[in-house]
Amino acid sequence: MIEVTDIVKRYGSNTVLNHATFQIQEGQLTTILGPSGCGKSTMLRCMNRLERFDHGRLKIGEVEVLGTEDRKLSAAEEKELTKRLRARVGIVFQNFNLFPHLTALGNSTEAPMTVKGLARKDAEEVARHYLHKVGLSDKEDHYPAQLSGGQQQRVAIARALAMEPDVILFDEPTSALDPQLIKEVGSMLRALDDLGKTLVVVSHDMNFARSISDQVIYFEGGHAVEAGTAQEVFGNPQKPETRAFMQSFQEEEGTRAEQQATASGKNEKLDAQMGTRATLGQEE
Amino acid sequence: MNLMSLSLKGLRLPFAALLLFLILPAAVSAQSSLQRVRQNGTLRIGTDATYPPLEYVENGQFEGFEIDLANAVAREMGVRAEFINASFDGIFPALQNGSFDAVVSSVTITPERSASMLFSDPYYDSGQLIAVRQGTQGITTPEELSGKKVGVQINTTAQIDLEKRAGVQVAVYNTIDLALLDLKNGRIDAVVGDAPVLRFMIRQSFQELQTVGRRFTDEKFGIAFAQSSEDLRRAVNAALWRIQDSGEYDRIHEKWFGEAAERTADQQASGARPSAFDTSLLRKTWTLFLKGVWMTAKLAFLSLFLGLPIGLFLSLARVQSSRLLSVPAAVYVEVIRGTPLLVQILFIYFVLPLFGIHLPAFTSGVIALTINSAAYISEIFRAGILSIDAGQMEAARSLGMSYAQAMRRIILPQTFRRVVPPLTNEGIALLKDSSLVSVIGLTELARTGQELASRYAAPLTIWPIVALFYLLLTFPLTRVAEYLERRWRPITRA
Repeated sequence: MIEVTDIVKRYGSNTVLNHATFQIQEGQLTTILGPSGCGKSTMLRCMNRLERFDHGRLKIGEVEVLGTEDRKLSAAEEKELTKRLRARVGIVFQNFNLFPHLTALGNSTEAPMTVKGLARKDAEEVARHYLHKVGLSDKEDHYPAQLSGGQQQRVAIARALAMEPDVILFDEPTSALDPQLIKEVGSMLRALDDLGKTLVVVSHDMNFARSISDQVIYFEGGHAVEAGTAQEVFGNPQKPETRAFMQSFQEEEGTRAEQQATASGKNEKLDAQMGTRATLGQEE
Repeated sequence: MNLMSLSLKGLRLPFAALLLFLILPAAVSAQSSLQRVRQNGTLRIGTDATYPPLEYVENGQFEGFEIDLANAVAREMGVRAEFINASFDGIFPALQNGSFDAVVSSVTITPERSASMLFSDPYYDSGQLIAVRQGTQGITTPEELSGKKVGVQINTTAQIDLEKRAGVQVAVYNTIDLALLDLKNGRIDAVVGDAPVLRFMIRQSFQELQTVGRRFTDEKFGIAFAQSSEDLRRAVNAALWRIQDSGEYDRIHEKWFGEAAERTADQQASGARPSAFDTSLLRKTWTLFLKGVWMTAKLAFLSLFLGLPIGLFLSLARVQSSRLLSVPAAVYVEVIRGTPLLVQILFIYFVLPLFGIHLPAFTSGVIALTINSAAYISEIFRAGILSIDAGQMEAARSLGMSYAQAMRRIILPQTFRRVVPPLTNEGIALLKDSSLVSVIGLTELARTGQELASRYAAPLTIWPIVALFYLLLTFPLTRVAEYLERRWRPITRA
């Protein structure tokens, strides 16, 4: 169970998170959806302590984090807290941030060896297990530069999994990939969900969110506007902000689909996936 | 030779020497200088042996009129003379701080110098003389130099004298052999310098030149002592008188300047030596060159290998967030990078002894070069670390690694491959900067070149050889760099 209660974060006069409150159930796949600049990525980074927040409370399992202005931590306490939090929460970055000097296997064994103190043999066993899970058994000796974007992402996932966290955060997992790979990412995430992991995905892609999520949280202006199942949020949005976002997204999608259809001359063959592709063309 | 002279890089810092004089109170010691000399049985003499026939190095031995004279004086005092070769730049500070007991190095007695040190009675009359190309008409006196372009050695009394004469265009050279070479090549009309040295050089390898007229200044050479060495000065004076009375002085003078000496020198010179590149010289001098190469290699490589870990540590101190470490590291880099290496060398060798820290010349040289290179190396490492994408640190930290673990396992391995080329640069620069330690009497490669160029009056032969040896020295560095670059080549697409 992840509880976010009234979190506020400011950069100078700019309020990035503005009383954000929501819950995520264990073992669920939750998408935080919202326009760019709404604070969703910052929210995600707060959950891994890559960012700190000023006020409010974050609870992941039994680890509780309070705003820096609510409770001052000594350097030692901060270190201890971060360690406990990161032991539970892994993250897959938007551009993966793989270690270029290490192979796929090396990327996945480095942290288990240095952080958990595993022997190389044991760490490699764990890493191979997860590289197998993401379908990269045959690439373990490849360096990141020798892998495709999709393969790199899967190494990043295996690297996070090798630390065996309960929660894995995904920052815009579709944005750095070719449109053809989006579906693959979706099924990969579902497979991880089946492992019992709690997954939190940040995305601005409505179609992707709709196709994979147990729960969708619509984020805007630095806080959660609306939360519910994918069906609830997409089928029957309650808040005007949510409705406006859905509408603008659909309009844009329609225009793009039309343009593409005209251009290709194969109007009738367009299916929903085309829309997805069109959207992905406008990466941030 | 007057005032300061001879610095390879032309990095001339009289103000630094001045500073050293100011902060150097006369070294106070319980023993008087004379007692110390008697007790040790040696008279330590500083000399810049690049001034034939007065003092120079031949086959690794000190030779020359003043060397023989100093030996005779020491013998008369019942002690042994120990010569320490020191570049003229650093010779007086070294005298002041007790690195040697006396300076015998063609030092002209002047009122300015007498204010800061003691002099023996004069032992040699010298003066300035004019040299021109053979066949030149109308230059025999200094007055006739008006309107002419005249070469001198830097900071000599020749320079001081000529600059006072209106209409003379003075061209200043680091060493007298270079001035003579330029005269031979026709860029200047005359050269003015110490008479015996000018005669020696012309006879040795500038037969196209000749001296004209007579000495137009009177200068007296004296043995210099620190101000606190009055008793030593008196003892040396007494010895000087005795060797003059006994005829020993005349014998030495005859040996170097007498007719027999002139004849031998003429015979040697009549072997019509080619004044361009002289290959036989390399055969004669290669062992000395090897010594210089070995000294330069020891200095540079030792300093590089000590500077690397210190530089790495400094760069790590600067990129981490605690000001407790980053501020001192930044100050260190700022100060060391912002002050001349020459001053740092002089400081360590000449000023630290005042605080009771006496380091041998080689140790001082290595320390100065290490301290200096560490500052530059740290900036190379820092640039390398900062060039690694911030996402790498985030990814490592997000996996639970501590800052130190992430630095060691993720950031630094990537940094090392990027900094090999600039580090190679720094290593090569260090190799060449090491020539500055000649100021504290270390005979490394460049100093060897300077001594040999003046001894054989053959700059055109000696300096290309020096350059070649430096080039050879950089080879191992570039080889290692190539190997590391190959081994650490960033992994790109297969």
